[in-house]
Amino acid sequence: GMKSFGRLRVRRFYTWRGNPLSSNRKLRTHEYEVDGLPRTTVIRTGQHILIEGDDDDNPFAAKVVRLFGDESGQQKKAVVQWYVRVSEVPPSKLKLLGRDPHPREIFFYQGGNCDDEVNAESIIRPVQVKHLDADASFPPSDDGDDDETLYVKLAWDSKVFRILDSALVASPPRHPNPSLPPSPPRSPPAATPASRTSSRCTLPTPDPTVLRRAALGEVRRSRAAASAGKNPAAMERGRGGRGGGEEEPGVLSGVPHASFLDPNAEEDSEEGEGRRGDGSWKTLAGGILTSSPLSPQNAPGTPRTPRNATPSIPSRSLPARRPANVLEEARTRLHVSSVPESLPCREQEFQDIYSFVESKITDGTGGCMYISGVPGTGKTATVHEVMRCLQHAADTDEIPPFHFIEINGMKMTDPHQAYVQILQKLTGQKATADHAAALLEKRFSNPAPRKETTVLLVDELDLLWTRKQNVMYNLFNWPTCRHARLVVLTIANTMDLPERVMINRVASRLGLTRMSFQPYTFRQLQQIITSRLNKVKAFEEDALQLVSRKVAALSGDARRCLDICRRATEICELSAAGLVGMSHVMEALDEMFSSAYITAIKCASTQEQLFLRAVIAEFRRLGLEEATFQQVFVQHQALCRVEGLQPVGVSEGLAMCQRLGGCRLLLLESSRLGVLQRVRLNVSQDDVLYALKAD
Amino acid sequence: MSKRKLKNAHLPIGECVSQVHQILRERFCRHQLPERPAGLEAQHKHLEELLKRTAVHGESNSVLIVGPRGAGKTTLLRCVLRELSKETEVQKNLLQVHLNGLLQTDDRVALKEITRQLHLENVVGDKVFGSFAENLAFLLEALKKGDRSSSRPVLFVLDEFDLFAHHKNQTLLYNLFDVSQAAQTPIAVVGISCRLDVLELLEKRVKSRFSHRQIHLLSSLTFPQYLDRVRAQLRLPDDFPDGSFAEEWNASVKSLCEDGSVDEVLRRHFHSSTDFRSMHALLMLCLSRVSVAKPAIRPADLLDASRLCSADTKVNMLRGLSVLELCLIIAMKHLNDVYRGEPFNLQMVHNEFKKFLQRKSNSMYNFEHPVVMKAFEHLQQLELIRPVDGSSAKTQREYQLMRLMLDHSQIMEALQKYPQCPTDIKQWAASAFA
Repeated sequence: GMKSFGRLRVRRFYTWRGNPLSSNRKLRTHEYEVDGLPRTTVIRTGQHILIEGDDDDNPFAAKVVRLFGDESGQQKKAVVQWYVRVSEVPPSKLKLLGRDPHPREIFFYQGGNCDDEVNAESIIRPVQVKHLDADASFPPSDDGDDDETLYVKLAWDSKVFRILDSALVASPPRHPNPSLPPSPPRSPPAATPASRTSSRCTLPTPDPTVLRRAALGEVRRSRAAASAGKNPAAMERGRGGRGGGEEEPGVLSGVPHASFLDPNAEEDSEEGEGRRGDGSWKTLAGGILTSSPLSPQNAPGTPRTPRNATPSIPSRSLPARRPANVLEEARTRLHVSSVPESLPCREQEFQDIYSFVESKITDGTGGCMYISGVPGTGKTATVHEVMRCLQHAADTDEIPPFHFIEINGMKMTDPHQAYVQILQKLTGQKATADHAAALLEKRFSNPAPRKETTVLLVDELDLLWTRKQNVMYNLFNWPTCRHARLVVLTIANTMDLPERVMINRVASRLGLTRMSFQPYTFRQLQQIITSRLNKVKAFEEDALQLVSRKVAALSGDARRCLDICRRATEICELSAAGLVGMSHVMEALDEMFSSAYITAIKCASTQEQLFLRAVIAEFRRLGLEEATFQQVFVQHQALCRVEGLQPVGVSEGLAMCQRLGGCRLLLLESSRLGVLQRVRLNVSQDDVLYALKAD
Repeated sequence: MSKRKLKNAHLPIGECVSQVHQILRERFCRHQLPERPAGLEAQHKHLEELLKRTAVHGESNSVLIVGPRGAGKTTLLRCVLRELSKETEVQKNLLQVHLNGLLQTDDRVALKEITRQLHLENVVGDKVFGSFAENLAFLLEALKKGDRSSSRPVLFVLDEFDLFAHHKNQTLLYNLFDVSQAAQTPIAVVGISCRLDVLELLEKRVKSRFSHRQIHLLSSLTFPQYLDRVRAQLRLPDDFPDGSFAEEWNASVKSLCEDGSVDEVLRRHFHSSTDFRSMHALLMLCLSRVSVAKPAIRPADLLDASRLCSADTKVNMLRGLSVLELCLIIAMKHLNDVYRGEPFNLQMVHNEFKKFLQRKSNSMYNFEHPVVMKAFEHLQQLELIRPVDGSSAKTQREYQLMRLMLDHSQIMEALQKYPQCPTDIKQWAASAFA
């Protein structure tokens, strides 16, 4: 009956027991050895404990290495050896495991970068941790809710899993303590030679389905199920009275508490009791810290995504053909999707972003950066390149490991989905937007030990705008938290987005680290194409220059440039020429940029052309740019007589007018208005007259 | 040999006529695709190459097919897909998703439909599980996992493409175009639209991701070409079961097109509209007159059909009105003449009508006020008149301002056709100012 802490926040009090073992003069700290009293939980060095974390259902696990306090005895601290839970390992890395993780499996954490001092108040209670041999099987995972034993097999150093020496896990022999239930045999079997070789463990070839299940479903589900089973019980116990078993009746029923006793134990504990009386049962306001109770997995009755559904597109039955000639090769290289070996023309921007992120990762601090630029100027590509390089640096141990995730404002249905996606990518957890926001808030603002820096890329930031701007606010606020270790890179199209849409408290948190990507110049565009083609000779020099100049003059969008070149190779192929020349590029440019209005007018039927002429005639008569159909129709009838055509009826005339409106040569009011609807031209009168004259 | 055999096979005339009906109706309703879309060879080639590259090489693409209604956009695409499906390399690989802006009115519906048509794993039977956000994440994840060389390419056809541009944030378009420009599952996005300004509807980052390929179906047509089209549409195929009947039919079609009056009718149609749809509507009316007793289309049929096609709908409605209602319409016409199209109310119309009655000594049309009111309401129900925008519904009905939804030419034509229209009313209508 120790699980009742589920949603309740309980303040715990710890006191020292016994005299300090030794004291460190320099640091003015004392070390203690502690001994147990009946009815209290005792934390000893070498014991495994649970520590408050982001997630109430899965508190951090650790082993106490040392206990110490300062001179006054106010600050009580513990140095711990961390374990990581399955949920704390990035889902992508979990694949390295090569099997399903056990829901109560933990990994001995050997990575650096983490704060191993914890406040005694954050210790929840001791926990059983069992070491298992690498080839031993886990006990069945559904052996009741009461068993909280955690299992450890492997060590995790944020890159690979290693076999763990059982000696590292072993707890020291315990003093006999009648108040605690007899501990199950916890000393692991003597380390076998196999387990002592702490080499990179040989993993079985991963079975993709298992991997996917591991990454997505299984773990989360079992956790959700566990929490679903736990919470109601917890609430009931919390409400229903304080009759919990062995604990002091009436005071702390069902609430785990532990104490380190110091020499004046009596006083302190009384004071503690007094405080407990008024404070410890305060549950913080439900909406703030507790999660929304409707996590998608345990809402009963509503049909949900079938379990284990994996998002995938079936595989080809016949292999894709490789490019067979120079033009096809060029076309493949010029496709926007093909990732170039390096990004030309963005060296400075690359360097700036790289040093910004790198410094934050090495310092273990956080920060944010705002990147702007019109579409197709390589913003996202540059950031991705930076992350690739940093990842490589981390892999070769030049910088500490970090975790990169990205979200895109356009790839979500609602700004608040950002929370869901971030949480999912960070921990693999699924939650509703509100719940996810609360969990992330906790994760980033609590002084819980962070294991590695998180780099978050937020693309299309402007889409995350909400009326209260809380999504944007949070994204910029989290990095400022001391313990967050979060670097946020934001990308949007407009340079003045912060000034334009953000309210002050959001804009001020964004800070001044801004960068803007200028549209490419024609030289840069030319260089981009040349570097992509990489010595594949498919274009004439002049042709390339024409494309680059044209695009630089229009938008400086590299995508446009590549698309035109690609189309030019197709035109070239059709005309059976060897090299893509000026004429091909001209044709491609013409296809993509010329307006079709004039052609459309030329291709319209005689009566439709006459109607357009009638529109202009009526506009001139009225001196306005707008007329009703009825007015135009009178002109049309007159023109028909002049041209010697049989006049059309009103219905036919209306149909004609609708056709012209359908392709937007005309702008029309609702067709319900019939002859009364107003007509406007969507092209300039000169264009219409030009198109009709050339006929 | 077999051809001669077929030619010799004589079917009963009834059988032949029903065959003619079936073949031509399928053609006119566009169930039967033409061998090749006429006059669109370049566009056909462009689209075919493009889709083939997606299917065979796994190259992602996006393209818009733009042209006026009835120009053959969908037909072109269907022809290309039919050609492609003959190649095993394409047929075995290409997945297809067909969406229509009129059916998938928002991204939520569109995503469900895409998921359903792709048979992703969150589909059970015909039901797509999950919320909008989950569906989007699921689809994007699925597309992201694929790559150029190993995943089956997906063809997305977005009919009435311009309507998708009105969806919130253009989320679907952004994501489809983004996938088409990323190293993910190869996809081809084909948009079909009749709006020439469709590109201007796209948001700048959506537009940047679109390849800017547009296939325009704009071709000017001369009258002889149009005439050829009509002939080709009416022609029976060579594999018609009864060879001699087919020969006779085709000969009659040829002579029909050479007829002077037919030429005039077709020319009139050609001037009005060159698209296939209106041509099919005309020919369908002709075809429905073909029977065992009259197993060919005659010029008179075409003339009648043309008359039916170009008949004015409002004039037809006016012919069904009562004399009182017709009188009210005439009164409105006079009010329009006097007040230059300013709106009127029932009281004014009634007064105008009374003025006409005063000049007549007989009381044949002397109706009670409620009767006139009823007639007025009927005209409103037929939408021959409509209340002026913004005139409040609180106004008493007699004083509610109205506008006439008819042109004068329609009223005069209706009076000509009105069965046994009293002469004095005709004269009243014709008089310039009452």
